[in-house]
Amino acid sequence: MRENKELVRMENIVKRFPGVVANDHVNFELKRGEIHALLGENGAGKTTLMNILYGLYNLDEGRIIVKGKDITHHSPKDSIKLGIGMVHQNLKLIPSHTVTENIILGLDRPKFFLNLKEAERRVKELAEKYGWKVDPKAKIWQLSIGERQQVEILKLLYRNADILIMDEPTSVLTPQETKQLFSSLRKMAKEGRGIIYITHKLDEVFAVCDRVTVMRRGRVVATKPVSGTTKEELAKLMVGRPVLFRIEKREKPPGEIILELRNVRALNDKGLLALKGISLNVRRHEILGIAGVAGNGQRELAEVITGLRKVISGKVIIDGRDVTNKSPRKILEEGVAFIPEERIGTGVVPNLTVAENLILRTYRYKPFSNRIFLNFRSIFKHVDELIKRFDIVTPDRNLKAKFLSGGNIQRVVIARELTGMPNQGLPKLIVAVHPTRGLDVGATEYVRNALIKCRNEGSAILLISEDLEEIMSMSDRIAVIYEGKIMGVLPQTQAKVEDIGLMMGGVPLEEIKR
Amino acid sequence: MMLKITRRGSISRSFSALITSIFLLLAFLAGSALFLYAGVNPVEAYYAVVQSFVNPLLLAESITRGIPIMLVSLGLAIAFRMNFWNIGGEGQLYMGMFAATGVVLWNLETHVIPDLLLLPVMFLASFVVAGLWGVIAAVLRAKLEINEVLTTIMLNYIAILFVDYLVYGPWKDPHGYGFPLTKPFPPSALLPSIPGTHVNMGLAIGIIAAFLVHVLLSRSKIGFEIRVTGDSFSAARYAGISYFKIATTVMMISAGLAGLAGLTIVSGIIGRLRPRASPGYGYTGIIVAWISGLNPWLIIPVSILFGGLLVAGDTLQSAMRLPFAITQVFQALILIFVIMSEFLKKYRIQIGGVKI
Repeated sequence: MRENKELVRMENIVKRFPGVVANDHVNFELKRGEIHALLGENGAGKTTLMNILYGLYNLDEGRIIVKGKDITHHSPKDSIKLGIGMVHQNLKLIPSHTVTENIILGLDRPKFFLNLKEAERRVKELAEKYGWKVDPKAKIWQLSIGERQQVEILKLLYRNADILIMDEPTSVLTPQETKQLFSSLRKMAKEGRGIIYITHKLDEVFAVCDRVTVMRRGRVVATKPVSGTTKEELAKLMVGRPVLFRIEKREKPPGEIILELRNVRALNDKGLLALKGISLNVRRHEILGIAGVAGNGQRELAEVITGLRKVISGKVIIDGRDVTNKSPRKILEEGVAFIPEERIGTGVVPNLTVAENLILRTYRYKPFSNRIFLNFRSIFKHVDELIKRFDIVTPDRNLKAKFLSGGNIQRVVIARELTGMPNQGLPKLIVAVHPTRGLDVGATEYVRNALIKCRNEGSAILLISEDLEEIMSMSDRIAVIYEGKIMGVLPQTQAKVEDIGLMMGGVPLEEIKR
Repeated sequence: MMLKITRRGSISRSFSALITSIFLLLAFLAGSALFLYAGVNPVEAYYAVVQSFVNPLLLAESITRGIPIMLVSLGLAIAFRMNFWNIGGEGQLYMGMFAATGVVLWNLETHVIPDLLLLPVMFLASFVVAGLWGVIAAVLRAKLEINEVLTTIMLNYIAILFVDYLVYGPWKDPHGYGFPLTKPFPPSALLPSIPGTHVNMGLAIGIIAAFLVHVLLSRSKIGFEIRVTGDSFSAARYAGISYFKIATTVMMISAGLAGLAGLTIVSGIIGRLRPRASPGYGYTGIIVAWISGLNPWLIIPVSILFGGLLVAGDTLQSAMRLPFAITQVFQALILIFVIMSEFLKKYRIQIGGVKI
C-alpha cells in the first residue's frame, strides 16, 4: 500500500556545476495527495533539483524513482509520459493563439487532423471542475496573468499529469488570485495528485502545504510536516541563523515635496499607452510604496522619473524643478538615485570590475576624472571605502562584477546609489524597483535597512515592488497601480491587505470605501 | 548520437594557447586541401609563406603590407569594443585615399602648401574626411536606429565606386596613356622610409596609434564609456551616457584610423591613386581585429602576419598562377578556425561518449 502512495523518490542526488555543488546528496519524496513545499533561498538548489526531476539536467550521482520505476537517466519527453508537469515562473504561452491551441500544442495526438471542438470541450470541462472561468476560445493576450497561469495548469491536467511542479507561482498574482490558486491546488491534491510547491515565502508554506522540505546551499536541512513546525523555525533552517522580522523605522514627520508627477502619460516599448495620467508626490523623509501586479506600468513609471523614457504629456518635477523629458544624465545630476529592476546588465555591467561598477554613474565628475582621463588613485580610494562600508564581499576590487553573488551585486548598486553624487552626498530622491527580488533573507534585511536609513536621514523614496509584504512593512504611504492608473493612495496605518488586493485587481479606492 | 554542449569554467592560459595552436594547425591543414584543389603543392605554398617572414626583403614587404591592415584594424577594434559593427573599414580607407590624393593633386596645381607641410596636411585630411564618412553610419544608427552593418557595407560600395569615377574621369593623368591612374605623387607627398630599412614611416604611425588606442580604452573617460556601452546598452543609458555622442565620437576615430590606412597605401605603397588600390585591407582588418581579441598590442604582429600572407599570395600568384581569391579564402579559413577555437574555450562538447 505504501508503495502505491509514493509518486517520486529522489535518492542521494548530486549535481555539480563548475565551481559549485548545486545539489549535494539530496533526498526528496512526494506522496499522492500531498502538497509538498520545497523551501529555500535563491541559489539553495530548489530549481536545480526540479530540473533534474523533469529531465532537463543530467544528474552526476543518485537515483530517481517515479511511481516505482527507476528513471534515473530520462529526458523531459519521458517525464511528460510519466505524468510530470512543471509550471514555470515565467509563463510560456503563445499570446496570439487561443487557450485551447496553446494547451494542445506539442501533443502527440492528434497526429494530423485537429478536432478543435472536442479539445475545447475538454478544456472547458476541466476548467469548470476547478471553478475557473477560462474561455477555451480566448486568445492568450486577452487574459490576465492569473488566467494565463490557469491555462498553464490546464495544459498539464489535459495531459493527465499527476506530479505537478509549481515554481514560485504567486509572484505574479494578486492576493485574491493567490487565494483562488490555493483552493484549486488543494482540490487537485485531494484527487490524488502530488504537488511540489517551490517557494521562498514562509507564509505560503503554512497557507497551502502539507509537508515542507527545506534546502540550504544545495543540501536538504529538514523535511517536516507543516503542522509540526513554526515560521521562526523554518526561517532559521532556511537561513542558518535566527531572523528578525522587524525593521527599525523611526517616526519622522515628512518634509517638503521632492518628487511630483502631474498627469503623466507615457508609452511602453510596444507603443501602447502604459501610463494613463499618473499624479503622485513623494516628500522628504517619506517612502511611497507602489503596489501592483507585474506589468501594470511600474517599469515605465520608474523610467519616466529617471529620464530613461519620454513622457507624451504631463510633468515630472523634482525638488521644484521641471525635469520633464530631460536626459538621464541631467536627472542624475539633480541627485536622483536609481536602483533598477535589472540588476545585471543595467545596475551593474557584468564584464566591468567591481571598482568600475562602483563609479558607473559618477565617473565623469571630479575627483574621479578630469576632462580626458580617469583618476584611478581617487577612484580606488573611494571604492575601497565603499567596499568596506557596505560590506561587499569580493576578493579584489578588480574582480569582474559577474563573478559576484546576487546579494553582493545588489550591494554594489546600493553602495553606489545611496552614496549619491560626489560633493552632493545623500540622494534627494531614490527610485527603487524590486530592490530585494531574488535576494536571500540576509541581503534583503540589509537592503531594506539601508533604504530606511536614507529615509530617516532625509531622502524621499519611491519604492516599487511586487512583494506586498515589503510594501506594507516599509512604506509610509502606499499607492496601487493598475493598468497605468493609480487606484488610490493610503497611509500605511490605514492600509488593509484586502483593500490593496482589490485595488491591484482594478477596483478604485473610492468604490471600496463606498 | 547525442550532441551535448556545456559551459566550461575558467581555463588556464596555457590550455587556451594549446587550443589556439591546435586550431591554427587545423587551419593550415584545411588550407593544404585548398591549395591542392587550386593545383599548388601545399608544401611549396607554405614555403612561400615562411619565406615572407624569413627573407629580409620579403619581410620588409610583409610589414609594409601589414601597415594599412594594422591601422584599419585598430580603428575597428575601438568600434567593436562598443558593439558598433563597423564593416565599413574598406570604404573609409578609400575615403582616406581620396582625401590624401585630393590634397596632393590640388597642391600640384596651386602650390599653396609648402613641401614640409604637405604630408601633415594629407594626414589630417585623410583622417577627417574618412572619419566624417564613418560618422554617417553612426548618426543613422543613433537617430534612426538603422543597423550599422547595412549602412557601413553600402557606404563601402559608394566610396569604392566614387574613387573609380575620379580615377577614370576628372583625376586621370593626361600623360598616362589612357590608363586609369592619377598623376604620380611628388617626393614630398611620399612617406619616407624608416632609416636603414625598406619599411615606411607608416609603421611608426601604426605603433603610436596602437599606444593611443590602448590608453584611450583603458585610461580615458571616453574609453570607459565605450566599454560600458559595449557590454550593456541599457547600463550605458542608465549611466547617463549619450549614445549619439559616443557613437559619433567612436566612429570619427575608428573611420579616421581607416583613413590613415588609406594614406599609407597611396603615400607608402603605390605613390599615386588607382582603382582597387586596396585588395580588401578593410575586410582583412576585421579578421585581424577579432583574432587579436580586440587587443591593440596584438593587432601589430597579427597585421604583419596577414601582410605576409598577402606577400606569399603574390609570390604564388606570379610563380604558380594561384588565383588571388584563394589567398582571401585562406584568410577566411584562419578566421573560422580561430572562432571555433574561441567556442571550444568557452564550451565543452560531448558527442556520444566522446568528450572534447
